[in-house]
Amino acid sequence: MRVLLPDQGIRVIDWGPGTVAALLQELGINPLEVMVARNGALVPEQAAIGGDDEIRIIRIAHGG
Amino acid sequence: MAKSAVPSRIPPCAICGEPAVICQPAQKRHLCGTHLIQDLEARAAATIREGDLIHPGDRIAVGLSGGKDSTALLVILSRLLPGLPEVKIVAITVDEGIAGYRSDTIKSAEALTRRLGVEHRMVSFRDLIGSDLDTLLLGRGKQACTICGILRKKALMDAARDSGATVIATGHNLDDEAQSVLMNALRGDLPRLVRDAGAGRSAPFLPRIKPLAAIAEKEIAAYLFVQDLFPVLPECPYTRYALRADVRSLLAGLESRYPGTTASLGESKKKIRGYCAGTPVMTPLNRCGECGDPCSGDLCQVCRLRHSLERGRDS
Repeated sequence: MRVLLPDQGIRVIDWGPGTVAALLQELGINPLEVMVARNGALVPEQAAIGGDDEIRIIRIAHGG
Repeated sequence: MAKSAVPSRIPPCAICGEPAVICQPAQKRHLCGTHLIQDLEARAAATIREGDLIHPGDRIAVGLSGGKDSTALLVILSRLLPGLPEVKIVAITVDEGIAGYRSDTIKSAEALTRRLGVEHRMVSFRDLIGSDLDTLLLGRGKQACTICGILRKKALMDAARDSGATVIATGHNLDDEAQSVLMNALRGDLPRLVRDAGAGRSAPFLPRIKPLAAIAEKEIAAYLFVQDLFPVLPECPYTRYALRADVRSLLAGLESRYPGTTASLGESKKKIRGYCAGTPVMTPLNRCGECGDPCSGDLCQVCRLRHSLERGRDS
């Protein structure tokens, strides 16, 4: 599974299938601070992901 | 787009059964993009209606930074306009003068107002105080958010007045409101916690309204994303000095472990205001001795800041 991180980094992870929430926990990212798109479509934390999915993690909040 | 080897197991929308894009924990349900859009616009309309925030004939000055919250606010207000008799909108963007940051958000704001057909005005710190923020902050980086906040508020208020606005609308969301409560508590600033710049139409300045105050930041981001309106913008370089950044992370962690914390904090402001009604902390505002703007002391924050900057230049 290809994961596009909020800092523009890319990771290829042998994942799942598991949930978005589990992936975020694994990456140490608070689900309230990001949105997650699976193959371009927004999905909730309870969605199952894995295999060849492309996952994009988008930061929704900036600091000040 | 990659082809998934995983069965599509996405929770269904509670209303139509289509794949959901977001979970709303407070309502214990999932929504698809279409019903998220309908839900947010209905809740903003309810906030406006219940708070009597917009009156027939109003000219609303929308503070439009180009970021997600003000973008969502302008989109939602534009869509609600047909149901708001004789109401007009003017979008106002404040250019603080932050190199490498503000130009992108201004482009985003310009593109949005063109798309929506909304009048757009720009005002800059240079117009207001004769200098851009980057110059003002030389040697004062740690005061960035305080100085910027004071001047942004003043610039928006002046531009709104100049444009004939009767009310100012800002994109503050539920998370912003909760963060402000916590920040004021951490600073021990009870007066600021209970004073509300948007309190009523009898206030000696333009009333400020927050139609998105009951909507979570994540819902707003998703609302824009599903409409291809989510602005991907750089981060303000002064963010590292902001107490709000730390408070945001703290609250996000608490909300994750104790769902409902953010909403409780947002609600607490109303409760505390109620407790303080009629007490000295709620005394009416004065007028600034120099510029006449409403303020809590003898001088407003902008005039105090001007003096401080002049002293800095003289020393």
